[in-house]
Amino acid sequence: MLLIHCPYCDDTLPEPEFAYAGEAHIARPADPMALSDEEWKNFLFIRSNPRGTHYERWRHIHGCGRFFNAIRDTVSDKFVMTYRAGEPRPNLDALKEAAE
Amino acid sequence: MTAHPRSLAQPPVTVEVLPPAARFSLRLRAEARPVAETALALPLPDRIGRRSVGATRQAICLGPDEWWIDAPAAEADAIRSALDGLVPHALVEITDREITFQIDGPGALDLLAIGIARDLSRLEVGRGARTVFDGVQAVLVREAEHRFTLSVWRSFAPHVGELLEQGAREIALGL
Amino acid sequence: MTQAFRIPGAGRVNHAKAVRFTFDGKIIEGREGDTVASALLANGVHLLGRSFKYHRPRGIVSAGSEEPNALVGTSRGPGRFEPNTRATMQEVWDGLTVESQNKWPSLAFDVGAINDRLYMLFSAGFYYKTFMWPRSFWDKVYEPFIRRAAGLGKSPTEPDPDHYTSRNLHCDVLVVGGGPAGLAAALAAGRSGAQTVLVDEHAELGGTLLSEPGVRIDGQGAWGWLETTLAELRALPNVRLMSRTTAIGYYHQNMVGLCQKLTDHLATPPEGAPRERLWRVRAGQVVLAQGAIEKPLVFDGNDRPGVMLAGAAQTFFQRFGVKVGTRAVVVTSHDSAWHTAFDLAQAGVKVAAIVDIRPQVSAELTARAKALGIEVLASHTVTSTTGRLRVASVHVNRVRNGHVDPWRSIDCDALLMCGGWTPSLHLFSHTKGSLAWDAQAGAFLPDRKTEECHIAGAGRGLWGIAAALEDGARAGAAAAKALGRAAGVGSFAVEGDRTGDGVVVKELPTDRDPGKAKAFIDFQNDVTAKDIRLAVREGMRSIEHVKRYTTNGMATDQGKLSNINGLMVAADALGKPAPEVGLTTFRPPYTPTTFGALAGLRRGRHFEVTRKTPIDAWAEAQGAVFEPVSLWRRAWYFPKAGEDMHAAVARECRAVRTSVGLFDASTLGKIEVMGPDAATFLERMYTNPWAKLQPGRCRYGLLLGEDGFIRDDGVIGRLAVDKFHVTTTTGGAARVLNMMEDYLQTEWPDLNVWLTSTTEQWAVVAVQGPNARKVLEPLVEGLDLSDAAFPHMAVAECTVAGFPARLFRVSFTGELGFEVNVPARHGRALWEAIWAAGQAHGITPYGTETMHVLRAEKGFILVGQDTDGTVTPGDAGLDWAIGKQKPDFVGKRSLQRPDIVAKGRKQLVGLLTEDPSVVLEEGAQIVADPNQPLPMTMIGHVTSSYWSEALGRSIAMALIEGGRDRQGETLHIPMPGRTLRAKVTGTAFVDPEGQRLKV
Repeated sequence: MLLIHCPYCDDTLPEPEFAYAGEAHIARPADPMALSDEEWKNFLFIRSNPRGTHYERWRHIHGCGRFFNAIRDTVSDKFVMTYRAGEPRPNLDALKEAAE
Repeated sequence: MTAHPRSLAQPPVTVEVLPPAARFSLRLRAEARPVAETALALPLPDRIGRRSVGATRQAICLGPDEWWIDAPAAEADAIRSALDGLVPHALVEITDREITFQIDGPGALDLLAIGIARDLSRLEVGRGARTVFDGVQAVLVREAEHRFTLSVWRSFAPHVGELLEQGAREIALGL
Repeated sequence: MTQAFRIPGAGRVNHAKAVRFTFDGKIIEGREGDTVASALLANGVHLLGRSFKYHRPRGIVSAGSEEPNALVGTSRGPGRFEPNTRATMQEVWDGLTVESQNKWPSLAFDVGAINDRLYMLFSAGFYYKTFMWPRSFWDKVYEPFIRRAAGLGKSPTEPDPDHYTSRNLHCDVLVVGGGPAGLAAALAAGRSGAQTVLVDEHAELGGTLLSEPGVRIDGQGAWGWLETTLAELRALPNVRLMSRTTAIGYYHQNMVGLCQKLTDHLATPPEGAPRERLWRVRAGQVVLAQGAIEKPLVFDGNDRPGVMLAGAAQTFFQRFGVKVGTRAVVVTSHDSAWHTAFDLAQAGVKVAAIVDIRPQVSAELTARAKALGIEVLASHTVTSTTGRLRVASVHVNRVRNGHVDPWRSIDCDALLMCGGWTPSLHLFSHTKGSLAWDAQAGAFLPDRKTEECHIAGAGRGLWGIAAALEDGARAGAAAAKALGRAAGVGSFAVEGDRTGDGVVVKELPTDRDPGKAKAFIDFQNDVTAKDIRLAVREGMRSIEHVKRYTTNGMATDQGKLSNINGLMVAADALGKPAPEVGLTTFRPPYTPTTFGALAGLRRGRHFEVTRKTPIDAWAEAQGAVFEPVSLWRRAWYFPKAGEDMHAAVARECRAVRTSVGLFDASTLGKIEVMGPDAATFLERMYTNPWAKLQPGRCRYGLLLGEDGFIRDDGVIGRLAVDKFHVTTTTGGAARVLNMMEDYLQTEWPDLNVWLTSTTEQWAVVAVQGPNARKVLEPLVEGLDLSDAAFPHMAVAECTVAGFPARLFRVSFTGELGFEVNVPARHGRALWEAIWAAGQAHGITPYGTETMHVLRAEKGFILVGQDTDGTVTPGDAGLDWAIGKQKPDFVGKRSLQRPDIVAKGRKQLVGLLTEDPSVVLEEGAQIVADPNQPLPMTMIGHVTSSYWSEALGRSIAMALIEGGRDRQGETLHIPMPGRTLRAKVTGTAFVDPEGQRLKV
């Protein structure tokens, strides 16, 4: 059972209150009908699935109800940080520098 | 391990179902809050988990744009139309959706710990949160040091209630 | 002769309190505080069971949870039988029933011991080799033979009458292990004010201190110091002490699972007491003070009853007041066993000799041994033991320059071995913490950590009580400081500490043919040193392969004694240093854990939530049969006396088609969509158009995923310009709400609309049938129910039977129908009011089966039954539900994907069997040509199939490739023994024009 920091509740809470919601920063195209089949396929199905740092979405589904974003290491299963939906993708290198 | 004194007259924790009052879910944006507060004659706390208590009504903030309003049943009609035409909002009655248990006694924290993974010692008196009790979504409010209310959807109440009763018996044994 | 081996006044057992239990039917007397092992040893019983493969006689090896051999069956009354209980951990109580395992007909004479003579058949990889040929023998001969001959204990067959519980616990510092290091850590953390939990798997806290009463700490004897320390810890309100509590697993972010045994040590547990409690502990800091486990030595005959670890003998003497024999020999590669020999000698045990592998031993030790009349045999080895059911003598040989001299025999009834100590780092390994070989300690020690934890004492290679105390205090203080607390590191004045060192060995040198030596490494799985060497010879290079090929370390003890010796032998065989070969991974649980503890409260009725509607109790009282639908239980059908399901469903169907039926639809998902942008939001979510739907009207809504496949459907009513009452399928309620929230929060956060689940706010009663209006009309106030005023697909707020209601005119049956929503608390009363009002019309309650039949007769789909996540609106014949003018909605773009517009997709069609009495099986596969060669090309499958009472024949729906172009074709459904024929039709079997709704 992981502990996850909800950026809306500003509290670190047990995993059963949360639900995973797939990769982050994949916005629905404003006009899907204008996309080629290839572009639409990429939006629908293609995900990065990295070994290591992963930008992903979670929902504090049994808490405040909000979707938010997280950076998690898929090897260690450790969260680097969480941030609110709609905020830009954090610069990981800058974060690491700040930590050092 | 801390043992609870075994006494039939005063069990370490009791569980009861509270009679229904009126309960509403209120949703609106931050900018609409002042108007709603005036119309409802009740402050709407701006931090998740905080609660405001008025003369007869209470509001607890459960999400960034979500409050529960609890009031006596007699005020339900007034609340239902209080915000009509004022600000964009959703006000939905959920009185019948919820069953509320009261958990009372020095064993209350231990009892809730059978189903809730949160560290409840950190929950201050007068605050609350939506959380999970044994896989069931619930809203927990700490009314006093050893007194909590736990609200779950109606159809989950028998499951939760039976577990609470079983846990209360276990805690009374002091093992 | 009772308790002949008990030393009066010695140990920590209560000599004034006798406890009687049975072992294989024989009454054994022990003392309060005994374990089964110590009580049996006190009575001179060493033979406790037969081994897994060879059925060799086996005794007690250890005094702790690492015990590989002394596994017994314990019984605490009917249904309360537990196999493989470690005799070294089970406390005795009056009436406990203990039995030995793996023996037939008796423990002393066991037929299966023939396996021991056939050991060449059972060598490494024997499963893979011996029994592979002939293949046909596997099922009938080999497997049954192996199953009967091998294995440990027998599984209980009755349901477990006990109950179990679980609890979450949060603390600042969790200390695992209640020995000197753990106690000192708990003291340091506890004194700092940190919320501290100290757990130990034994009945008593104290660890090594219980076996070392001669040590003095701060001017007190070890036991006195322990008492003082426990008193201080108990007095601290922020400290919780838990004995009989095993830390079974160490998970992410300092979550540790504990299994606490609550009643297994009690003769009469309190009424209703749970047997075990599983704790999920979340700790800010963890201190692992689990000590070290003594290593056996590997030599021929090292598994004979009476051969045990020296430290175990020490514990049985000091803690339990039991002599493990009258004439002992010690064989060791480490100083610690010398001290055991000295203690036993002083207790009156004749120690015949100390055999030390090392050429050089400290002069102090040898002098002490000689003073006690113990023969010292340095630079010696043990090459065999004798004795049938108990060791009788040991063969010792001098070793000179690698050459083993001829043996001489020394008589003994106990052979105490010590190959040094292995730090217990199992929990640390659970966290993927890495280990590094420490040449000086001769052990793997903790290296890189992944969690907020501290390892103290023998766990990191520090031997002796002074070192453990000091290191424990350091770790406890470090844990407290890491949490921002001021913590002092106490110091301890220790006298009489008996530290020492030793050497690491593989198999002991021998003068015999090593291929014939039965030198056991894994006692529980009967793996010998020869097996490991054979595995390497046969090509296993990785320690993980050696482990799996030989099963070394794969028994219930997870190799607590065997892994390190297995590694040493494997490394030697591979010609590599031990650290290069490495250890296998330890995984939770640390010791075997009951399923009961893991299930906790989730058993029986609480295995899973069963959701019930407000009307459920009425249905139950009427004798309804229920079926599970997601977490709900729903009334399936309402049989009358003498009716089977078919008859009941036929009667219910007739009632709805001819008069009126009553149905509990409360489980339908309901979402209140409210706000100025409600219609815009629904326009984007659902395929259908909503903007022009007038308040007071309803529409069927179809929800797709972004991939264009059907996700859900339901009727949506517009109550006001800014308020919609959305219904979903019963199983889809939570999923649909989550999907809507996702789009609303992350794609369209600008929309002023909010979603509230009202599934359980409303109880829903469906009244369906030509007489529905007649039944309902008298109960409704504030609404004209006539067809003109309240037509099909109308919705209104009104009063029904005196309750505030949302009334829908909808039909999932094809008949005139209404769905009455009232606040849930009134659901039962509403139902009964309609029930009473309908009596004149023979109103009939119907269940989900009838609902399914009636909707299938109309060709209405059930999402999840007629669709499977790959069905588009076009496939399901629901193109009419798509708003053609809408620029976008969820899934719209995907409806133009090449594979969605391609020809030959599976389409939903009707099927009528040639034989009208045959009801097809749902899921049955469909082929075009029944005479084609196997494997046939399947072109579709049956999704829904029922007996239609209205048509007096069977009906079915099916997803079939190019189905709509096959109208009128006859297809084939091959079933066991026969092939059925059916004609492809449209899906609306009854009233395709919908005339029956216009009344």
